[in-house]
Amino acid sequence: MLMLLALMTGMPAMAAMAAMAATDDNATIDASGGNPAAAEYTEKGADTCIRCHDEDSQFPVFSIFKTKHAQVADTRTPFAHLQCETCHGPGADHARHVRPGQTQAYIFAFGQTSKLTTDHHNPATVAAQNQVCLNCHRDNARIDWNASAHQNNHLACVSCHKIHAEHDPVLSTTTQPDVCYTCHKKQRAQFEYPSSHPVSAGQMACSDCHNPHGANSEALLIKPTINQTCYTCHAEKRGPLLWEHAPVTEDCTLCHTPHGSIYTALLKKSPPLLCQQCHSPAGHPAIARTGDDLPGGSGGASAFLLAGSCTNCHSQVHGSNSPSGTLLMR
Amino acid sequence: MSIIIAKHPLALVMLSSTAMTILTTDCLADEPATVDTSQWKCRYCEFESGLSGTLDLGAGYVSDDSFKFGEYNGLDKKGGYLIGNADLRYRGDNARYLNIDATNIGLDSRSLNISGGKQGSYDVSFTYRELPHFISDSAMTPLAGTGSNSLTLPATWVTGAATNTMPQLMNALHQVDLDTKRKRAGLAITLHPATSWHYAVDFHHESKQGTQGTAGTFFLNATQLVRPVDYETNEMNASASFTGRKLQARFIYTGSTFHDNNDALTWQNPYTPLFSATTGQLALPPDNQFHQLLATVGYQLSARTRATADIAVGRMTQDQAFLPFTLNSTLNVSPLPKNSLNGKVNTTDANVRVSSMVTTNLQLNATYTYSDRDNRTPQADYAWVTTDSFVNAPATNLPYSFTRSIWKLRADYQLDAGTHAAFGFDYDNHKRTFQETDTTKENTLWVKIGMQLGHGAELNFNAAHSHRDQSGYAAVAAIIAPENPLLTRFYLANRDRENTGISINIPLGMHAIISAAVDYAGDDYPDSVLGLVKDKDLTYSGDAAIMLGKQTSMHVFVNREEIRSTQNGSQTFSTPDWSGENTNIVNFAGAGIKHTLSNKKFDIGVDYTMMQSRGSTVVDTGLPSAPFPDLTARRDSVKLHGTYHLKANLSLQGGYWYERYHSGNWMLAGITPDTISNVLAFGTLSPVYHVNVFTLSCRYAFKP
Repeated sequence: MLMLLALMTGMPAMAAMAAMAATDDNATIDASGGNPAAAEYTEKGADTCIRCHDEDSQFPVFSIFKTKHAQVADTRTPFAHLQCETCHGPGADHARHVRPGQTQAYIFAFGQTSKLTTDHHNPATVAAQNQVCLNCHRDNARIDWNASAHQNNHLACVSCHKIHAEHDPVLSTTTQPDVCYTCHKKQRAQFEYPSSHPVSAGQMACSDCHNPHGANSEALLIKPTINQTCYTCHAEKRGPLLWEHAPVTEDCTLCHTPHGSIYTALLKKSPPLLCQQCHSPAGHPAIARTGDDLPGGSGGASAFLLAGSCTNCHSQVHGSNSPSGTLLMR
Repeated sequence: MSIIIAKHPLALVMLSSTAMTILTTDCLADEPATVDTSQWKCRYCEFESGLSGTLDLGAGYVSDDSFKFGEYNGLDKKGGYLIGNADLRYRGDNARYLNIDATNIGLDSRSLNISGGKQGSYDVSFTYRELPHFISDSAMTPLAGTGSNSLTLPATWVTGAATNTMPQLMNALHQVDLDTKRKRAGLAITLHPATSWHYAVDFHHESKQGTQGTAGTFFLNATQLVRPVDYETNEMNASASFTGRKLQARFIYTGSTFHDNNDALTWQNPYTPLFSATTGQLALPPDNQFHQLLATVGYQLSARTRATADIAVGRMTQDQAFLPFTLNSTLNVSPLPKNSLNGKVNTTDANVRVSSMVTTNLQLNATYTYSDRDNRTPQADYAWVTTDSFVNAPATNLPYSFTRSIWKLRADYQLDAGTHAAFGFDYDNHKRTFQETDTTKENTLWVKIGMQLGHGAELNFNAAHSHRDQSGYAAVAAIIAPENPLLTRFYLANRDRENTGISINIPLGMHAIISAAVDYAGDDYPDSVLGLVKDKDLTYSGDAAIMLGKQTSMHVFVNREEIRSTQNGSQTFSTPDWSGENTNIVNFAGAGIKHTLSNKKFDIGVDYTMMQSRGSTVVDTGLPSAPFPDLTARRDSVKLHGTYHLKANLSLQGGYWYERYHSGNWMLAGITPDTISNVLAFGTLSPVYHVNVFTLSCRYAFKP
């Protein structure tokens, strides 16, 4: 119900909360209780499952036939093998008719359903669920899944992915952020700040910068370093340039905040205070600019404070390749 | 055990469920041999074949012009627009397929993706997308030629010593849009041979064209300028991946080239020329290239232990011909020491990680990361010219290099069925060249605890403390305009960093859930006298969702972030004599409700969000001075949406979106082109808008 609630409210946080809570509950379950060797498969495979799991059931499954997993001609897919039971395991016991008062036998299930089972021999821990997926999806972006931030935080694959859905929301640029905001609420807010990357406009996905399946970079970035990640879209700042600005070459986030800011260009502060954090030579850069330097103030409208402030003259703050760009003015 | 594993796929799962480690196996290779599937006909399986998907066609109307409203979505202009979206799938025989996904066809934010192939064998995809960025629709300039690389003054222009003494300024001013548009087209091919290997190659070309703001100065007189953006970026990735039972590996080549169709921006001096400087020239981003080889390997050392390693070796180069020192022919400049930079940076990024489930309850991870930016750009002396006005003593370029080594140790322990704890230690050694500090070393201790509180509720807590030491701070002689010796740049300074967070999720029965979180991050620079000395960030959030029966749901959320920082300065090149404090507070809240009518013919929903930000700046010199106004913004947005299902395969979709936005920025307030005597400004206005958007479209579904 929590998963359903999450879907209906458009609050994907619910889905993940439910899924995460479910997996945590599984910690109380004796994973050694089941004896898989003794379990039996159904007589008719998916036809047995579909008999109950139609679109009016609590767990409808028909949407899976619109996904890549239901492609018999692709020998890698579950439906080219043991159909539903490829992932869910032997289902003969589960499929048996139960009388009133009897408990439906356990079947290996994912996400919230694992939590709701009353079978205390449920082995569907997060790791076990994920292993089913990793058996096939260990390649490429998931090589670093082990000990990654999301694995360490006990996320199941189905905390983010909807395997039976016609369209998995996390795979679409427009709907993916809502899945991530399930946990990353601060970022949900920051993408609504006056200056932000175009995530809330549906033009960028979190995965354009981050690899949620694990990466050896800071904050699961898709490239080894912060700057290399930024250069994927901002190649003009890559250089190398003749006159470099040291913090620019070291780390874009020293001046910019990537998700959202109240200042233009995702800056952490507006100049001149932004620049005066690191510059205090003799002369104009060290002068305190106050409200007296605003239009109508006692000091008159100041070029050192207003319009572009420091960048009125030092406009090449990202570095310059002009031989005369020493002070980033050309 | 090995027999069980071989016989039964779930046995593997169950083993891993207790060990919490990954046993890699060939995909589905361990299917039990004894299953009788002769009756597994899948008669009721509704496998897709032929054409399916949806088409949307309709019209929308935007009530007002606003660059800020349409900043990235393309709804920047008043008037009607076409609503066109397609999500089409064709499934042929033998796993052949074709997908067409098109969105926002009638807007500047349109995209198209066509992919096809034979699932499991090969895939080919073509992607095209446009991304606009509407920056400002209120900038004004007297300079003609905006969008080109040469900005010229009107023939009738009369220079002035200050902006308010330029007699033709008001007549010459014209409004200019600042906006850019990216257009990206790409092709990707993936091959899946019937082995453990997987090959992929993709290429994309992106153009970015338009205009952005910049500025140029002659001595002390500045002008805000419109600079052309005409970039071409090409990128290619080619990869080969191996997936085996124990070993997985991936090898990637990435090549990226950047080309700017303009080398420089020249502009005529609107001020009375000093030093005969009549024309200035700004360098635009030079062409550059980046090539990188990356290898990643994962290996299952044992049932409990896994190791991964990767290394990326790259090179950035830039060798565009230099511009002249100046266009001012009256200056006696030295010849350039060389014709181009021959800029070269070698990058090496490597990582090794080992994780092991030492016992059923204890997992240990160790990670080593190495990152090196080795700047091999040659140094030379450049007799540079200040603002095309006068020649300086030669300066030497400083090609910055960085080397970073990070060690991380982590332990995760399951204390009991409902409690999990993790703690770790990180060590970060960062070496730099040509900077005031050679080395910084940072140690971090952290802990995380997660607890089940019963009834599905959970509580999570995390805390971390970091301490960073520098190896010393000494001025770099080659840096022009020596800094105050009491200044320490914050990213090189000794630092104490605290991070703390707590969150709670509480399901209320089966029909509601609430959650709340508080996060704090604080940096203190205890030994910094000048520069940034404190930076704090406190965030609160709360969410609730309620299911009101089967057909109605609602949600509400709030978020508040407070960022406070303090810095010191010295106007007298000595001890601190002023301080600056920034306080930014942003509130973001929203609520929504969805309802499906009982006949399931009509769905309706409404969402409201509000963003309110305030940035206050206080600069205290010890003397009375006027305060700064706050930097403010507020956005209220209401979206109504409804779908009426006319038939199983046809629905009518309607929407109404109202949004209003007010902002105030003291850097722009009251600044007309001639307000600042020595800055010929754009006179840009802070964005304000009220926009209504109406949409009506039909959705046709193939095989609903």
